[in-house]
Amino acid sequence: MTAVLQIRDVTLGYRELTLFRRLTMDIEAGTTLAVLGANGSGKSTFVKMLLGLIDPLSGSLNWPKGRPREIGYLAQMTEFDRRFPIRVRDLAAMGAWRGFGFRSGLDNAARDRMTAALDEAGVLDIADRPIHMLSGGQLQRALFARVIMQDAPLILLDEPFAAVDQSTEAHLLSIIHRWRDEGRSVVLVVHDLSSVLDHCSHALLLGGQEAKHGPVDDVLTPDRLVAQGYLSESQASWMFRSSPKPQEPAHV
Amino acid sequence: MFELLSEMWGFAFMRRAFVVTTVLSASVAPVGAFLVLRRLSLAGEAMAHAITPGIVIGFVTAGLSVMSLLVGGLIAGVGVAMLTALLARRTILRSDASLASLYLIALAVGIFILSAAGSAVPLKSFLFGSILGIDDASMLLVGGVATVTLVAFAFLLRPLIVSTCDPVFFETQTRRPWLVDQGFMLLLVLNLLAAFKTLGTLMAVGLMILPATAARYWASTITAQLVLGFVFALSSCWIGLTLSYLFPETPSGPAIVLVAGGIFLVSAIFGPLGFGKRARKPVVSNDIPVAQIQQEEKAQ
Repeated sequence: MTAVLQIRDVTLGYRELTLFRRLTMDIEAGTTLAVLGANGSGKSTFVKMLLGLIDPLSGSLNWPKGRPREIGYLAQMTEFDRRFPIRVRDLAAMGAWRGFGFRSGLDNAARDRMTAALDEAGVLDIADRPIHMLSGGQLQRALFARVIMQDAPLILLDEPFAAVDQSTEAHLLSIIHRWRDEGRSVVLVVHDLSSVLDHCSHALLLGGQEAKHGPVDDVLTPDRLVAQGYLSESQASWMFRSSPKPQEPAHV
Repeated sequence: MFELLSEMWGFAFMRRAFVVTTVLSASVAPVGAFLVLRRLSLAGEAMAHAITPGIVIGFVTAGLSVMSLLVGGLIAGVGVAMLTALLARRTILRSDASLASLYLIALAVGIFILSAAGSAVPLKSFLFGSILGIDDASMLLVGGVATVTLVAFAFLLRPLIVSTCDPVFFETQTRRPWLVDQGFMLLLVLNLLAAFKTLGTLMAVGLMILPATAARYWASTITAQLVLGFVFALSSCWIGLTLSYLFPETPSGPAIVLVAGGIFLVSAIFGPLGFGKRARKPVVSNDIPVAQIQQEEKAQ
């Protein structure tokens, strides 16, 4: 497998606060990485570092094939303005705007891509609705359509399922599977030990100024989850009462 | 009535007033639209006060010319905008509190200098302008600012849309996100200065905000918002000017803003996104699977 990104000896944090020290790992093409950790352990900061918005305190990020022009990104919806007057179609088109600069029209190829993206995300029928009429799940689908339009080799999703129902989650997971099968790398910040982990090949556990990376099974052990402050001992013993391992990863 | 109206066109100052407000409407409408969408409606007002010391210092040192107004106002406006951004980024204060603190200081400085210089400038014309006495230099200023604004919007429109709707996503799309914020603030200051001589600072903000908020009650897309905002601004100016001609006792600036206010109230009551909810489709509050919505829509 080929690495999209090599993280070498990276220490991440802010001037007065170190989040984790000396992380070395590769993000490989066609893999799905789950990022877990307690609140404040640096999950979102890690994502921002991959986006180039924050520099590591030390260490380096190497892009063997060059830094991709576009990195797919879906943020938490906290700063999103849901009352902005824009239709689903144009929200999705934002993902391709950088390629078209200041010109107003997308070309025919991009239009076809957009129809396909809206269809895959399940919002083609409501493409002309303004976003203030959407439910939380519909808005998340529309934002997935925008990520599809970005057509990026590396895709970062920050808690994409925090506010959506089970059927939407299943639908969006199928899109993530398609990305992985096409050889894109997906980094997924997840906020709990949910079934989402079934769909991830690797995990990165942050907490206690440490970062542990590896296959899901190797990282998410009861001992380690307790050691890095993600679970208390009683929580760990309850969650892992039936089996020693949390999940069987579907793809390794 | 019609004689009165046709007589109105015989006056050069009325023709000038119509031309200037038409150009001004095209210029301030897009700025107003994004002030409202970026939740900066009150920042427009604050910035109008903040440029006062610059204008006053320009006036005291170089007399009441368009150039002194432009240079003084630009320095004060851009200075306050940059200091606001600096305070918001480096200290605990948010940008609204930073701007509020700075514009109050600036306003006090302006009035202090004006009083200390003991000049005979009527403060009223600073605040309310004099639309019926517009000279060539003022017309050139309005025309120049409108040109700069519309050209800038051709480039800034998409970045502005993305940074307003989804600021976090916007940060990942550009290396210099602050360029859009500061560029927009510069356009705001320029438009306030353009409107200063004609409408006065207070009325200028009225012509920016009211057509934009009125349009908000009708528009579901950014294009509709921009076009409607312009139409409302233009109607306000034309109707307001005509009214102030027909009733000579009424001042033109407030007449224009009052018409805009009337359009706003009507829009709030009858617009599909205002109180008139019947025209609006129900907002789906719970997550309903898309397939179910489609079935319901087919059934209707």
